[in-house]
Amino acid sequence: MITAVNVTKHFEEITAVNDVNVTIKNREVFGLIGTNGAGKSTFLRMAAGVLKPDSGKIFVDDQIVYENASTKADIFYISDDQYFLPNATPRDMAVFYKDYFKSFDRARFDEMLGKFQLKANRKINTFSKGMKKQLSVLLGICANTKYLFCDETFDGLDPVMRQAVKSIFAGELSERDFTPVIASHNLRELEDICDCVGILHQGGVLMQKDLEEMKLNIHNVQCVFQSLEEEKTALGLLDIVKAEKRGSLNIITVRGSEKEILNKINTFSPVFAEILPLTLEEIFISETEVVGYDIKELIF
Amino acid sequence: MISKNLYFKLIKQDFKKRIWCPILIFVACFLGLEVRMLMGMEQFTQYSDLRPYDITVYIRQYFFGREAMAMSAVACMAAFLCGISGYTYLHSKIQVDLYHSLPVSRTQLFWSRYLSGFLQFMIPFVMNIIICIGIAVGRKAITIQTIPAIFSFIGIQMIIFVLSYSVAVIATGLTGNLIISILGTGVLFVYSTVLEVILFLMSTRFFDTYTVYNSRGNIALNDKIWCFSPLSMIIKLFASPNNTTQVAAQKFFKYDSSYIWVLIVAAILYSLAAYIIFVKRASESAGKSIAFRVAEPIIKTMIVIPAAFYMGFFFCSIYYIDTDEWFLFGVIFGFTIVCILMEIIYRINLHGALMHKKQFLFNLACTMLILIVFWYDVAGYDTYVPSDSQLQSCAVSISDLMPLQQDIRVNEFGVHHLSPAEYRMANMELQGNSSVMELARKAAKEQLAYRNFDYYDGIEESPEYIETMKRQENYRNIEFGYKFPSGKVIYRSYIIDISDETTLYLLSGIFNDSNYKVGSTPIFNDYWNVSFEAIRCQSNFKIGDITLTPERQAKLMEIYYNEYMKLTLDTVMHTLPVGTLDFMVRNINDKYHYSSYSGNMYVYPQFTETIALIKEYGFDMLENPTSEDVELIRLTKEKTTSSYNNLPMADSELDDEPKEYTDKEQIQQILDNIINERFYWYPNYGDLFDHCYFIEIRYAKNDRNNSDSNYLFITGQIPAFIQ
Repeated sequence: MITAVNVTKHFEEITAVNDVNVTIKNREVFGLIGTNGAGKSTFLRMAAGVLKPDSGKIFVDDQIVYENASTKADIFYISDDQYFLPNATPRDMAVFYKDYFKSFDRARFDEMLGKFQLKANRKINTFSKGMKKQLSVLLGICANTKYLFCDETFDGLDPVMRQAVKSIFAGELSERDFTPVIASHNLRELEDICDCVGILHQGGVLMQKDLEEMKLNIHNVQCVFQSLEEEKTALGLLDIVKAEKRGSLNIITVRGSEKEILNKINTFSPVFAEILPLTLEEIFISETEVVGYDIKELIF
Repeated sequence: MISKNLYFKLIKQDFKKRIWCPILIFVACFLGLEVRMLMGMEQFTQYSDLRPYDITVYIRQYFFGREAMAMSAVACMAAFLCGISGYTYLHSKIQVDLYHSLPVSRTQLFWSRYLSGFLQFMIPFVMNIIICIGIAVGRKAITIQTIPAIFSFIGIQMIIFVLSYSVAVIATGLTGNLIISILGTGVLFVYSTVLEVILFLMSTRFFDTYTVYNSRGNIALNDKIWCFSPLSMIIKLFASPNNTTQVAAQKFFKYDSSYIWVLIVAAILYSLAAYIIFVKRASESAGKSIAFRVAEPIIKTMIVIPAAFYMGFFFCSIYYIDTDEWFLFGVIFGFTIVCILMEIIYRINLHGALMHKKQFLFNLACTMLILIVFWYDVAGYDTYVPSDSQLQSCAVSISDLMPLQQDIRVNEFGVHHLSPAEYRMANMELQGNSSVMELARKAAKEQLAYRNFDYYDGIEESPEYIETMKRQENYRNIEFGYKFPSGKVIYRSYIIDISDETTLYLLSGIFNDSNYKVGSTPIFNDYWNVSFEAIRCQSNFKIGDITLTPERQAKLMEIYYNEYMKLTLDTVMHTLPVGTLDFMVRNINDKYHYSSYSGNMYVYPQFTETIALIKEYGFDMLENPTSEDVELIRLTKEKTTSSYNNLPMADSELDDEPKEYTDKEQIQQILDNIINERFYWYPNYGDLFDHCYFIEIRYAKNDRNNSDSNYLFITGQIPAFIQ
């Protein structure tokens, strides 16, 4: 488990991360979302032991990570612009990482290179940006570390590759103790990967939520009532986050379980009532609006 | 998890990544070792018959000995290459992200890279040494005694490498940008040398009494500045040995072994400093100019102040306009420009040029304070004379008052000579002579100085000029070396006026001190240790070599010494010598020739026993040619005269039409009134000569003993038929 307690980091006059408290549970895919400059990379660099927090502490499995080689042996950090040795090939990089990560799986790496159609002996500096990102992910996966930190790694992947990586993550999660932390400025890219998401804004964490939990507790409802009076009474019973009306059709975002919401609406024998799934984006718009932020301005 | 052989793996990785580095170093070492050795051997073989030693000595003492400095330059360059390339990853954010996220502690990362850099020099260097040994063995140029020399050569180069390497690593760690780290390496490498040179320049400019004697001929060696930069240390290590006697100098060059320990300690301390900087350095410093913000003002002050003074001297050197106004302009201009440049470098932004006004004012105040201290001699440098009770002894060198005409060679290949004054400062220990400190105090109080006139046409007719020049003819330089019980020596140079009776009295008191004479004359300290091959005798008209045996040498030295000790200042100042003796040794670099050991030792008419003994040995100093021996005498009149201390200067012009005299009576009259110009160049005798005519003698018979010198008339003794 990764725990950040009151972590703050300044770069001269700029506060990159401000009093952040985050808990990342094991075996969940954690998405770190925020605009450029929100502090995602700084947080990941601190969590990876690259940077030392000015104040606060980051624990990985209850161990301070900075200058702790044994803890860092459980972490593989893929930066937003991953460095590869000059003139190195994927195979050279595998040899390089093998020296640091004793559980690095060379055979699997070679196998996965084939699957991703990356040549083991081709110079990395001839790779496209996306290919480099794929290679970084493969190296990270094959390092067999407990934690994999990916900084904007998915942003350059095409949908097919993202799906492939997602499958790999799913496989890893089912097979071993594996916790990927993925930072991105794009909510949509993380929607189908993450179990839990933390939103960073201006160095601070706005919120941290489990996606499933959120999805179960907030819903989009489309309904038409027989009379305005019934409509008013029914809506008054619901914990509405957002409401919109098009003609007689009510489009509302309601907090609560699906069953609970439908029970309350059906009491009034509506002409039409349907529960629709919310996208991650919609959930966050709703949630952040509640706490007073306009998420559209923060992320999209 | 970290494997047991992690260090080995990290070093291997680094080696692979920077394989170009050992390859470049191998090539440089190849040129600096094998190629140089082969060239040296070839040159040695061509002239081997001239040398009194064989090729094994050449390899041991030259190649692996004094010429080690050439290889040290390669070692320093290699150190910069390895140091900067090994740690330059700190300047790249993406590389820092990779290396600092790996499961390796900063300590492991630092030392593995440090060791890797060290090996990247050591492996190619030692490989080249082995090849050199192979070449030397093939040429039979190596003996068992060469082995310690080789090990010491390797050791010295490795120490120098580590020292320079650590400085490069420190500079790379302190900065966050490649260009600035290269500049930083340069600054750290030369900093104390720069301070030493500035101190020398400032002292020379502002202190009338400033003089330095323990610099071994190098202004970058100054006891007042701590030699903390590698360049200073290397210069000091390889500076000619500070031999103070010629006997000590007749040895092959050796490293100052006591100083090697200083280098080792410095190398260790610099390495530790580099390590501390590395572990304390924040990863986010990559790309910044200076990694530690707290260091910015310190570095700025350290650079700005010396740079300001350098600019002052630079402006003075342009068009040779050496005035205080231009110096001050240079200091202020240089200060401002360097301050702005430093801010721009720090911010990597032109807009930051005028930031930190408080720092600017602080540095300006420091610069001005230093300038005022020097300019107005706030510390009383020029007037300082220690009290008698503070001193252990004193050395005095009165220029132009002792007949020692040449520099004294203090190492075997003539690389460095001690001037007569340097020799005296090193060897003289005057104690209990009240005249010494009285004269020092008088000179310090009077603060006499030569006056410089701005030249204009007709200045020579100006009464003020004439009076000043006349007065200054009696000025002499005198140097004091105040030696304290702690071993510290302070040197001062004054001007005294020998027409002043008190001064002359005190001067006599010093001159008549036998310790002064012995301390002034190298041969009196050495002669029992040296077997001289011959003495070269020169009189007014003759020159000749006399072969010496140990018995002859001992007898001559004893008699000469005794008569020399009786010599008075009055005699020296007013009596022309009758000849000179130069004690000769076999030339160490050329076994077929003699070389001078003592320089010309003057023989005065009062040295009757010496003159008699020399005559007994076969050279009559008092024997003059007669008119019958001379075919003609040629006189050339001087058209214009330019003189200093009564000596003609190089711009004197001679008449185009010399006169020749063949009349025997006239020749005899001329012969009776001329003196060899060799004595003329001894300034004290300047007024005993009349330099209106230059005289050449053509002898009737060729005799190799006849001096081929030119002659001058003795003042007031120009025959009437010439005038």
